[in-house]
Amino acid sequence: MDRDALLGLERLNQLALTPEEQDEMLAFFAARETDWESLAQVDTANVERMVHVRPMVNVLREDVPAQPFSREDLLAQAPESMDGYWQVPRVLQ
Amino acid sequence: MTAFETVIGLEVHVELATKSKIFCSCTNGSDAEPNTHVCPACCGMPGMLPVANRQVINLGMTAGMMLNCHINRTTTFDKKSYYYPDLPASYQTTQWFAPIAVNGYVTIQTEDGPKDIRVKQIHMEEDAGKLVHDNLTYTTLVDFNRTSVPLIEIVSQPDLRSADEVVAYLERLRSLLRFAKVSGARMEKGTMRADVNLSVRPAGSTVLGVRTEMKNMASIAAIRRAIEYETARHIDAIENGTEELVQETRGWDDDAGKSFAMRNKETAGDYRYFPDPNIMPVVIDDEWYDQIRASLPELPEVKLERYVAQVGLSDYDAGILAQSRAFCDCFEGAMAVGAAPKEAANWIITNCTGILNKRGLTSEDLPVPGRALGQLIGLVNDGKVSSANGKRLLEALFDLDSRGESVPEDMAAFAEAEGLVNSSDTGALEAVVAAVIAADPETAQAYRDGREKALNPLFGACMKQLKGKCDTQVLRSLLIAELKK
Amino acid sequence: MSENTLFITENPCNRTAGRPVIGLDDLILTQDAATSAGSKMLAGFKSLFEARVVERLREAGYDIAGKANIGEFGFDFLGESSYFGPVVDADGHLATATAKLLMDSSVDAVVGLEVNGAQARSAALAGQVHLKPTYGCVSRFGTVAVACSGETVDITARSTEDVQQVLDVLAGHDDADGTSLPARECVRVTAAGFAEAAGAGEAFAAPITHVKVARGLMDAADADTKQLMEAAIQALSSEGVDITDMASETDALFAVANLAWNILMCAELCNNVNRFEGMKYGYHTEKYQTIDELYTKSRTEAFGYLTKAAILYGSEVLATGNYERCYDKSLRIRRLVSEAFSNEFARGASAGNTAGQTAILLPACAKRAYSLADVEANPYLAFEENRFTAPAAITGLPAVTAGGVQLIGSAFSDVALLRLANILPADCAGKEA
Repeated sequence: MDRDALLGLERLNQLALTPEEQDEMLAFFAARETDWESLAQVDTANVERMVHVRPMVNVLREDVPAQPFSREDLLAQAPESMDGYWQVPRVLQ
Repeated sequence: MTAFETVIGLEVHVELATKSKIFCSCTNGSDAEPNTHVCPACCGMPGMLPVANRQVINLGMTAGMMLNCHINRTTTFDKKSYYYPDLPASYQTTQWFAPIAVNGYVTIQTEDGPKDIRVKQIHMEEDAGKLVHDNLTYTTLVDFNRTSVPLIEIVSQPDLRSADEVVAYLERLRSLLRFAKVSGARMEKGTMRADVNLSVRPAGSTVLGVRTEMKNMASIAAIRRAIEYETARHIDAIENGTEELVQETRGWDDDAGKSFAMRNKETAGDYRYFPDPNIMPVVIDDEWYDQIRASLPELPEVKLERYVAQVGLSDYDAGILAQSRAFCDCFEGAMAVGAAPKEAANWIITNCTGILNKRGLTSEDLPVPGRALGQLIGLVNDGKVSSANGKRLLEALFDLDSRGESVPEDMAAFAEAEGLVNSSDTGALEAVVAAVIAADPETAQAYRDGREKALNPLFGACMKQLKGKCDTQVLRSLLIAELKK
Repeated sequence: MSENTLFITENPCNRTAGRPVIGLDDLILTQDAATSAGSKMLAGFKSLFEARVVERLREAGYDIAGKANIGEFGFDFLGESSYFGPVVDADGHLATATAKLLMDSSVDAVVGLEVNGAQARSAALAGQVHLKPTYGCVSRFGTVAVACSGETVDITARSTEDVQQVLDVLAGHDDADGTSLPARECVRVTAAGFAEAAGAGEAFAAPITHVKVARGLMDAADADTKQLMEAAIQALSSEGVDITDMASETDALFAVANLAWNILMCAELCNNVNRFEGMKYGYHTEKYQTIDELYTKSRTEAFGYLTKAAILYGSEVLATGNYERCYDKSLRIRRLVSEAFSNEFARGASAGNTAGQTAILLPACAKRAYSLADVEANPYLAFEENRFTAPAAITGLPAVTAGGVQLIGSAFSDVALLRLANILPADCAGKEA
């Protein structure tokens, strides 16, 4: 992780760090690399991923539509809205 | 002059015909007022959790089977992150690690015979919202109605070699998906969208050239034009160095007839895929798998062959019916209640199509159940309803549907209620016949004197008085009998 | 922001005398009060619906007192990263709003969302009782999602009885939460359901007769904490509980469990807070020309440093080049930790007492008190000292903190853990308000 990579990471996540924060962050990431080395020491060659802690499958719902929320309520806290839409600066194609 | 080969792969996005969205219960509909089919979940507000719609899995499996794929019996959902205003949670839930279906194929007809286009995979995912660019305010307006509408993405291998093949592939896909009721698959409605990945290379080379991706073609015809343009652009660039080809996404401007470089919506960044912790794996056991397999429709070409060989329809008629699942269902339903095949076919191909066209509808919109059509044909054949009124009755069925009312079980009663049944009151007929003859003695005499054609105006006058509600054969016999007295 | 804000909002409903009063931490969505998740990004945000746990509490006749101050998105060390400021007590030690509200009896229990052990630590330092229930037994519908694969609605109170009482109200299946266990499994953590299971001889419902000590983690704690642990061991022992040590392999695994949890937690957090960008609701920056500016400035101005670190770290561990050795690796470590627990729970006791089940005893944190200066010196305590709470977090197993120490049990052993916790000496952990 170097300053360029950090800048790229910031952009990807829509964040802008101050130079002081960047210094801090680089140190933080350096420490994390040590973490990754520790993790690499653990033998997981024949271990499957565990995405969910409790085993369940097929948690599905039936295809029944419902509209309990109104547009007014949903848009009520929109910083900018117009004619029933959320509004943002013009996005270029 | 080098001969070039065009290599094309397609990514086709298809909106599934479910009633609700994939991870929330909002309505999966179209043409609604902006932001009226939304909830906190599909608007990216905190607190709601995704719960997958069973019917989406059913349709995903169906599509996989229709395209001869291997169905992954354990299939999971993953998150794909990027920022764009039409993505309310700044990630799309899709399938990256274990898509529902893989390794299938679609057979198309080419000049050189049938060709299999391999399907790399089909995965389920959610759609994004819609952006409306407002030029007055120079802002962009965001509508989340379409967010989280269920999609399948059908990814082909780069097996296509020409615009003709691409068109054949798309038409075949569309037909199969409609037949299986997976989707309406209408490009003009946006329920089917195709991204074209195209590159060219010298004929005989096995190395792939620079690939460009084209989006925003609104119709199959536009896709053809886009492919032809882009192929030429690539070849020109390679042969004459007119420009440097870059791997990029390009939009298609149909009016200008050109492709143009697009600002990459997903800024060429990593999508950071990872498994969705909130959605449990979907495990398809034999029972579920078999249930879906049993629900698959007979393929259109199989129906066509059967209609010609066993039912006796002409190739032409069978061909028209086989293009539409709705037409086939109606045809078979009518036959099931005893309608003669040629008559049923004719009523659909001529009369129904006429009404559909008048109303700006397509064959898949046919709202007439087969049994209703069968009964209607029976009523006309039995003389209970005149041919003209039979057509009016058909229109009345369309009207029912557009009002959202269901078609009644008993067409005879329905015809009665609509006032379209022929009068069976012979007395009334006799009275009208007598009155018409009395009103026009000269024409009556002319008939008696041997001029057969004099019957026609008299007949017409009777029909007019009876408002067409009579059995024409019976009326004709009565009239002739009365005249000959 | 001023220090020592306890309640972010207070519910307009009047407290009814004689009715139990619940505080909610600010990650639980309510309709009549704002939910800010400890962040400027959501300050004042009004949810359109209530969390399932809030519905259940109201139906059961509890009064909701208000929203308790917590760290930004709940994953910090002891609430120090809250937009509304940390809570510091009279002798300059970091406390939490949860602890103080219980200490001064403003509320009878606090229901929150345990993301990274802050509530367990809070209870340990304040001598209170905390339960992080078995994952999937209490609905997460209506909580601000942070680290979904492990976070759980949790309960802090002054006694195990109070905790059990609230758990009985909260536990239950919810169709709106795709990770919610079937109803017949959720009831296992209620007193009634547990009793029925005990009658049927279910393993998770047996009394806890063996306790294994996590020596590695115990050694990583300070002298005072070790003393607390020894006192706990004594008390358990004299009640006839068999005490042994965990296998050293398990110790070794526990030592890195938090590294894996940090990765999973940050990746999921990053993804869950992506949606906060100033366009749809919440904080938005004042001056912007492009949408990129709107997003970047809003997020930069509204998130604290620790949250930014978690976001960037979470994003980095998911990068194509890192995914396998970071995120994927951590998913496998999760399985190893889970299997290690199973092995520890299965291994028989040393002598006598062969009936009954096993729990793990370990500290909840390394020291008996932390100051603001501690956090200022090391802003990443949340990623380092969560080694004590990460084993339970990463596996979704139930964990009780009482008497200043932590007990982890097998899935659905929540009621048994609470009962065992009664044996732990309460006063040796006591801290004044």
